[in-house]
Amino acid sequence: MALTGETSTQLALRDPDIRLMLRVRDDDAEAFAELVELYHHRLVTVMHHLVGNAEEAEDLAQEVFLRVYRGRKKYHPKAKFSTWLYTIANNLALNILRTRQRKPTIPLNVRDSGPLGPRPAEQLVLDRHAQPEDRIQQQELAAVVKQALETLNERQRIAVVLNKFEDMNYAEIAEVMGLTTKAVKSLLSRARDNLRVVLQDYIHMNEPGQERKDEG
Amino acid sequence: MPLSEDEKSELVAYLDGELDDAATQAVEAKVATNPDARAELDALKQTWGMLDYLPKASPSPNFTNRTMERLSLEKVNAAKTQPMPGAPVPWRVGAIWTAAVLVASVGGYLATTHFWPASPTSDPIAPDSDLPIVQHLRLLEKWRQYENADDIKFVEKLTDPDLFGEDPT
Repeated sequence: MALTGETSTQLALRDPDIRLMLRVRDDDAEAFAELVELYHHRLVTVMHHLVGNAEEAEDLAQEVFLRVYRGRKKYHPKAKFSTWLYTIANNLALNILRTRQRKPTIPLNVRDSGPLGPRPAEQLVLDRHAQPEDRIQQQELAAVVKQALETLNERQRIAVVLNKFEDMNYAEIAEVMGLTTKAVKSLLSRARDNLRVVLQDYIHMNEPGQERKDEG
Repeated sequence: MPLSEDEKSELVAYLDGELDDAATQAVEAKVATNPDARAELDALKQTWGMLDYLPKASPSPNFTNRTMERLSLEKVNAAKTQPMPGAPVPWRVGAIWTAAVLVASVGGYLATTHFWPASPTSDPIAPDSDLPIVQHLRLLEKWRQYENADDIKFVEKLTDPDLFGEDPT
């Protein structure tokens, strides 16, 4: 989020990550290692939810950090450090997701491939009729939610992941994605409505009696 | 009655805590009186909660070390591709060599044509300079006689046998 009216010094005093990044700008490799250590878990999590593959998520997160280092001389503290970091991550993720959309690499069953095969959202609707209470365990429910997330377009997916897992508000998401706050509101509304439609018949599994056992 | 896109958008913004006080009160009033809005709000809230089922990422423990190693490798590669200070730039070396070859070729050609000009006799396919003499050999042999004649008609008349027949005496 852009913090207007504040000088770089004021920002740096308030945000320890900005102080670290300013040291990185002065070629301090140790400060860079500290930033990587601080942010890698969050960044890998975000990338994992976006691309759906743990190994690829790590590679992408690593690439984001390297881009931070390569662009260190251009860094000017105008916003929170995390906003700058996720702006770079957003650009990289958008490229990857768009390339993947043009050249899908996920192997499909023969019966599911081709223009007449069901799309992921349609497949979920088909699965609903197979008495999910009896068949779907927690792990399978995770797969269903992952598949539901994949039915969103790349912008919706990024907005949802930043909102849900980075706890970013609309203004911060707008800054990262280069959109207006109003556009983010609309994007998230459509995304959550799509998720609601796709996951409608699985909602009862998320009721209080069915809370995840590994929580708490 | 189904909710409009704007009403759904307001419900989502309400759940995200993005509305000001007036808008918040308006949504709460609608939810209290409209069962469809209430059901929609509950469904949206629960769907959002389901995202917690997504598998948690666990980065490899040596992530930071691997990133730093990759950075070091990148720095080494960058240093290798960077020219030494004062060393000639590759494109400049190529340009100098091209210019040198060009100057040598033109200089060589000029020197050759200046010091060893082409000789007409040395050319095996040059036209034979004796050919006109051979073709007009008969004319040249009698040139001294023809010099005394005024014109060609006079010379032709000399060939008439009636003029130089046997003397009757």
